[in-house]
Amino acid sequence: MKKLCLIVLVIALSCGEEEATPTTPIDDNFITDMATKINMGTVMGVNHSVSGTATIYEKNGSYTLVLDPFQSQNGPDLKVYLSKDVGAKNFVRLGVLKSTTGKQSYALPATINLSEYPYAHIWCEAFSVEFARAKLN
Amino acid sequence: MKAKLSLLFILVSASVIAQKKQLDITGAAGRYEGTLSAMYTYAWQLGAKKKIEIGIAGRFTSYLGQNQYYITAPAKLTSGSTGPLVIFKENITANIDTFLIQSPQVNALNIAIHLGYQVSSKISIGFNIDALGFSFGSKKSGSYINGVFGQQEQAKPTGFNALLISDNDLGSLNSELFLKYQLKETWGVKGGLQFLFTEYTTNTAVQQTPEPNNRFRDKSLLFAFGLYKNF
Repeated sequence: MKKLCLIVLVIALSCGEEEATPTTPIDDNFITDMATKINMGTVMGVNHSVSGTATIYEKNGSYTLVLDPFQSQNGPDLKVYLSKDVGAKNFVRLGVLKSTTGKQSYALPATINLSEYPYAHIWCEAFSVEFARAKLN
Repeated sequence: MKAKLSLLFILVSASVIAQKKQLDITGAAGRYEGTLSAMYTYAWQLGAKKKIEIGIAGRFTSYLGQNQYYITAPAKLTSGSTGPLVIFKENITANIDTFLIQSPQVNALNIAIHLGYQVSSKISIGFNIDALGFSFGSKKSGSYINGVFGQQEQAKPTGFNALLISDNDLGSLNSELFLKYQLKETWGVKGGLQFLFTEYTTNTAVQQTPEPNNRFRDKSLLFAFGLYKNF
């Protein structure tokens, strides 16, 4: 019986919770005054409570996506994507969502052709659920 | 002379070989994944004390997972070659991409090999491994991930299973390292580790470099616990 309890305990310990996004408000040190605005769009929640503005800036030949202002419902494994289509069939992963609240910036790959990626998404990767989307114009 | 030798062989065989038939049901669990399997084993008990077991088995394994990261499967990509020595080769990480499936579910029916040893009257240890069979399951959506770039695609379990060597394996194959404890005359409990390969084939060859690939594999190490009955 003791052995059985030990096995059950080991199994239980091996099953953890999926990590949620930090909720501490952040303010990335990306100075937008020094950069050129390329395109932007309103972040709208998709069956989730998310709001804000997504803007792509160019600075010294590099592109950066800035979410400011930004507020999102929390969720597991939230990522920031750019995509070619509204359903994010083809996408670029910009990184893990840094916080559910506050100004945050994500560097774009140098090889990306911006005109091919007109959508920004907040995407729960583990469950393949879209939290929010912005059409960048 | 030939007839006498045959008779002698039969008599000797009868004295050192016994047959054993066993059914076991096993559940196994890991992080966000688990299996339920049923196995029927037909084994020969060898040796004067019949302590060594060699057998064949039929095993049905049903695997269910959540948010599992499948990686490039073919040995040619993961190890750079397909020979028997791939087992000793390091993975070529640059060739390995990921296919994330939200709810993988694979069913596999395989012929398996069983090896066992009777440690005492109540305790036995052993190992079994699937060798050949087929898999089935519904089509699933997943995300192919190659560095920062990704693509949504559909995939289904690879149909044919074959035990080869290391990443040369095809399809979904289960194996167990177990200890069995006999509780009653005909039945007992087992515990151990289950090592499972599950494999999906994507609709299109989502991986293009260094060469097109549509096979992705998940390797799971699970804690297993089950019941068995002797016939």
